[in-house]
Amino acid sequence: MNTPDSPLIKVENLSLYFPVGSSFFQRSKSHIHAVDEISFSIPLGRSLALVGESGCGKTSTGKLLTRLVDPTGGHIYLRGKDGSLADLAALKGDELKRFRRRVQMIFQDPYESLNPRLTIFDTVAEPLLVQGLGSLGEREEMVARLLEQVGLTPASSFLFRFPHELSGGQRQRVAIARALVVRPDFVVADEPTSMLDVSIRTGVMNLMMELADQLGLSYLYITHDLAVARYTSHELAVMYMGKIVEHGETEEVLANPLHPYTQALISAVPAPDPAYQRPAPAIRGGISKPIDPAPRCRFYERCLRAAQTAGGDPVCRENDHPRLEDKGGGHFAACYKV
Amino acid sequence: MNTSLNPSLRLYEPLWRIRLRNTWKSLQDNWVLFAENKIGLVGLAIILFYALLAALHPILIATVWDEKIYDPFIGNDPRIYNHPSPPSQDHLLGTDPMGRDILSQLMYSTRNEFVLGFLAAAITVTIATSIGAMAAYFGKWVDTIFMRIADLMNILPFIALLVVLSAFVRMNMWTLALVIGVLSGFGGATIIFKAQALTIMVKPYIEAARIAGGSHWHIIFYHIVPNLMPLAFLNMMFTVTGAIFTEAALSFFGLLNIRVSWGIMIYTTQAAGYMLRSIEYWYLIFPAGLSITLLCTAFYLIGRAMDSVVNPRLRRR
Amino acid sequence: MNNTLLALKDLTVEYKTRKGYVSAIDGVSFDLQYGESMGLVGESGCGKTSIAMSLLRLMPENAIVRRGEILLDGQNILQMDERQVREMRWARISMVFQAAMNALNPVYRVGDQITEAMHQHRGDLPPLQARARVEELFQLVGIDAKMIDRYPHEFSGGMRQRAVIAMALACSPSLIIADEPTTALDVIVQDQVLRELRRIQAQLNMSMIYISHDIAVIAEVAKKIGVMYAGRMVELAASGDIFHTPRHPYTAALMSAFPSIKGPKTRLVALPGEPPDLLYPPQGCRFHPRCSRASEICQKQTPPFETIQPNHWVACWNPLEARA
Repeated sequence: MNTPDSPLIKVENLSLYFPVGSSFFQRSKSHIHAVDEISFSIPLGRSLALVGESGCGKTSTGKLLTRLVDPTGGHIYLRGKDGSLADLAALKGDELKRFRRRVQMIFQDPYESLNPRLTIFDTVAEPLLVQGLGSLGEREEMVARLLEQVGLTPASSFLFRFPHELSGGQRQRVAIARALVVRPDFVVADEPTSMLDVSIRTGVMNLMMELADQLGLSYLYITHDLAVARYTSHELAVMYMGKIVEHGETEEVLANPLHPYTQALISAVPAPDPAYQRPAPAIRGGISKPIDPAPRCRFYERCLRAAQTAGGDPVCRENDHPRLEDKGGGHFAACYKV
Repeated sequence: MNTSLNPSLRLYEPLWRIRLRNTWKSLQDNWVLFAENKIGLVGLAIILFYALLAALHPILIATVWDEKIYDPFIGNDPRIYNHPSPPSQDHLLGTDPMGRDILSQLMYSTRNEFVLGFLAAAITVTIATSIGAMAAYFGKWVDTIFMRIADLMNILPFIALLVVLSAFVRMNMWTLALVIGVLSGFGGATIIFKAQALTIMVKPYIEAARIAGGSHWHIIFYHIVPNLMPLAFLNMMFTVTGAIFTEAALSFFGLLNIRVSWGIMIYTTQAAGYMLRSIEYWYLIFPAGLSITLLCTAFYLIGRAMDSVVNPRLRRR
Repeated sequence: MNNTLLALKDLTVEYKTRKGYVSAIDGVSFDLQYGESMGLVGESGCGKTSIAMSLLRLMPENAIVRRGEILLDGQNILQMDERQVREMRWARISMVFQAAMNALNPVYRVGDQITEAMHQHRGDLPPLQARARVEELFQLVGIDAKMIDRYPHEFSGGMRQRAVIAMALACSPSLIIADEPTTALDVIVQDQVLRELRRIQAQLNMSMIYISHDIAVIAEVAKKIGVMYAGRMVELAASGDIFHTPRHPYTAALMSAFPSIKGPKTRLVALPGEPPDLLYPPQGCRFHPRCSRASEICQKQTPPFETIQPNHWVACWNPLEARA
């Protein structure tokens, strides 16, 4: 039996590098370090929000965990029913196919993630079909029950409609049903509500949280929105240029951010109160692509802490990227100046 | 989790009937869009007219037309001494140099033209969608090989190739359909379908299918090919036009082992030496020539009208 | 002295589609003073972008203006002829679009594109003067002057958006419309662009209409806020009033639908249902099918858009109480 806080998924030194500027005749020497040796784990039934700006590597991390792309290096361990850890990064063929029942994904764009030529039934039943689970009658029943569970009632009025006949919120509910039909225990949700309208978004977030409680799911919730991360997830990890720079309990990270980048992110969130004068975020410059990054803190160029010393702080300038260390109470940060 | 099944979850209808109804509904929806475009209706009217001609032929032979006189291959009217003869009450479009009724030949050939056109188009589209989808999905060497073949097909002059081919193979309607289908299937159409397949490849539902555990073939034939179908129908219409036209050209050169077709009718006229006096003997060339032109135009018009169904951007709001 | 720059009066616009008429804007009225910044907030399809398009006379061909007028300095924009519309666009009202990448042509230098935009309205501006003006604009929006001769792809997302703002400011318009200008941007860049917009608006004393679905972003730039729902304006008031004493149930729902990073963590209450199909808008108040306060009259009669207290308009039969 798994103890409640034993990790369901454990990522170790996971990396994804893309070659840039390669051609037919010349193999490229430069690489984008989209995901750069990240490690984290998610306990059973808990959710981790992965937050960062576009291009920080959060979506690539999601694609690695669902094995849509092959990692350059590192391990993804998934805990089996018997408590043993299997390395997903090494799976192939039939083993990989069977693993896919346990790890599913919900996509950002509900208009593009459903095949327009398939009915709702066909879309939701597809994982069952390709996995060879259930007879046609059983599949019908499973799909119908799940549609009711995600709030598409009565199921019979949705089963044989096409995506274009549904609203954005309804489509995202279909996408959720589809991800859950094979009873996974880990779901990667890549910005599942960012394309939805405000009044619809809350319903979908609430639904995802209820389902997590009912079914004992863990989410990796990928988002750019700190408020959404806070609302949906127990833990929060902040990514910057392929690295996780801070990781801890969501409330703790938001209340006491340690890393200067996290602090800048938090202070850049617009305040919904016109009377409040929000101070400017303490950050300089803009984001750049991590192409063959220099062996120093990735945040060095934009960091005001490192800039306090004239000519840049030598500790930050001359050492490699700081390790993600426990700064007390399970609150991890990767910074020399904490 | 609730385990009791809500009564509304039970389906009282079998799946196939629901699917049939869905298909029917989508046909109806598409018909409304299609019918808005008048040129498509004109095309359809012409095609229906020729379909009627083809269907009427066996009925006329069985009822009012004496087989000895009106048979499209060996018929001959003993009451007329000089053939070809101009249109008369008995022979609405006259008779050909061998004394056969032109209307009967025309009607009999129509069925062949349809069979040839649709068969060639179906083969083309089947090959082109499969290969286009595979080239887009697998990329790399699969893509390279098929695209180079397509380039080759594109630069070879089509008719000339068929002329050479007919020296080696005796071609009848069926083999011709097969040859046209295969040649154009591996040719330009592949490039069009591959381009379309590439736009489908990047959709998240393809990734979703991979995460579900779908195999390469599942993704190609369950997701990519069905999304190529609207384009495939469109392409089919233009291939039908091409096939009918090719048949006429090859027949005219006398390269086909076919007893009667629209192209053969013109060939017969030419072989008997009436071609240069075609103003006087207009009825020998005009019916077949006009039919080829009309039917080709009709399929082209339908293709154009389908374009506005397939491409929402061309629709009027 | 009359200080009103823009006045919408009962603007009603429908779009003709194959299925019927879509009621995109229905009886919207508001005033905008010189130097005032206003926010329009609402979900997709609520009509906020349609209003912007009407102001610039950029409505699609199938749009039909049923009623109402748009007065710019007392002149009705809807009755301007082609030449007047051309003179009005950019010189008097300009717009910052959501997708900055699409607003810039990738094959021309950014500076040249701004010069080109100026030429169309200022006739023959001497080249040197034009360049000086572009430098001035770049400085205003916070872009290094040496970027003038660069191409759009050499700009980052935030810089492109600033360049588009510079272009909108080129002819010193009295009104600038910003349609979700920061939606595609990351929070830190969004923060920078918002700060620039706020500073420029105050510095040039320009009027601004800021359109967004995000009420928190609006709160940072606008002095007053109009809340739109299904083609109608349901509430209009000073930003502080909207936040502290929302009177329309939709406004209240909209604000409580946003999770916050501060304060106690509470479970958000989702609005039931979906926004209506504007082909067949509901009778009476368009919000009534989703409203917890709906009564019989809401289903039958459209609530008038009325003053409920000074400078606070609301269209609701059963408005929320003003909190003490």
